[in-house]
Amino acid sequence: MTLTAHCVTSDAGVSAFLKAALKGFRLKFYPSAGAFLRAAPGGGLAVIDAFLPDMSGRDLAAVLRGDQKTRRLSLVLTGAGPYSPAAAAVCFDNGADEYFAFPPEPRLFRARLVNLLARSCAAGPAPAEKPAEYRFKALLVSPEARTAQIGRAALKLTALEFDLLVYFLRNQGRVVSRSVLLEQVWRQGMEAGLRSVDKRIEALRYKLGRPFGSKIKTVFGLGYIFKL
Amino acid sequence: MTRRPKVLVVDDEPDYLQIAARIAARAGCAVFTAATALEGVALASAQKPDMILLDVGLPDISGFEAARRIRKVPALAAVPIIFFTVRSELDMVAEGLKLGAAGYVLKPFDPDELSRRIKAAVLPA
Repeated sequence: MTLTAHCVTSDAGVSAFLKAALKGFRLKFYPSAGAFLRAAPGGGLAVIDAFLPDMSGRDLAAVLRGDQKTRRLSLVLTGAGPYSPAAAAVCFDNGADEYFAFPPEPRLFRARLVNLLARSCAAGPAPAEKPAEYRFKALLVSPEARTAQIGRAALKLTALEFDLLVYFLRNQGRVVSRSVLLEQVWRQGMEAGLRSVDKRIEALRYKLGRPFGSKIKTVFGLGYIFKL
Repeated sequence: MTRRPKVLVVDDEPDYLQIAARIAARAGCAVFTAATALEGVALASAQKPDMILLDVGLPDISGFEAARRIRKVPALAAVPIIFFTVRSELDMVAEGLKLGAAGYVLKPFDPDELSRRIKAAVLPA
């Protein structure tokens, strides 16, 4: 059986690397997110470049994961090197199965793609969900179990503070405004008031303690950004 | 002296409007803003911006419809439009890109990425 990989990139260097590293694969190239979405293959494996002409690779991954037809694709994202754990975490959070800083070591890259394809063929397509847990150094957060701990000490968060923490974890490195937090976390629009967001974030920072609480930064006049 | 590129930002959500406007200004652009699609279409016709950052879910008409109307203005037929929106459904994204969008950015967005896209759209290659 010939292994097929859909390659979404406009970069000649990335294309050349893929052709060399994936000899024997059937490669289909798409120069933009738009071209790939028009084809929207329902299965197989897609290698997606981080910066496409019309969309970021991680946004494209989120779109593909959210659609019934494409959610079962195996997604491999590549980012511009050097390797960044934060960039990798965002890609995984958006549904990536693999993440490589470019250029990856060709044999390792090929082996992991072959494994990924083998698993998806053997087990059948499994829907990708949000990560079961987030771990950063001593901080461990499990959205499903609704538990958060630093080391062995459980954090005593209110339901709202917990939801706020998970929202930040899922949107690392992105500026989120207070009104968006009200809409997405409080789920009641503006009724709760913008001040209640500030108060709750102060409480969350305090409970997280200095090493992690300080990662929730205020972007003056705009909102907040969470960077680990 | 070279003219600063003109960027029009259209979003009904004041925080995002302000964030995007600030990012465009930091990228060296002269920024105009509108909070509704129709206001955005009128401002685009009047100002002839070099690029447009356009929300999709606007209160009066959709960002897509606004883009269609803007494209009908001869001077704006090829203006780069970047949609920035929470709408991540595949069909919506595909439709936006089919409209000839220069980019599609999901909210909440990475400020660096938005800045890169604005610069790529307004600066000559």
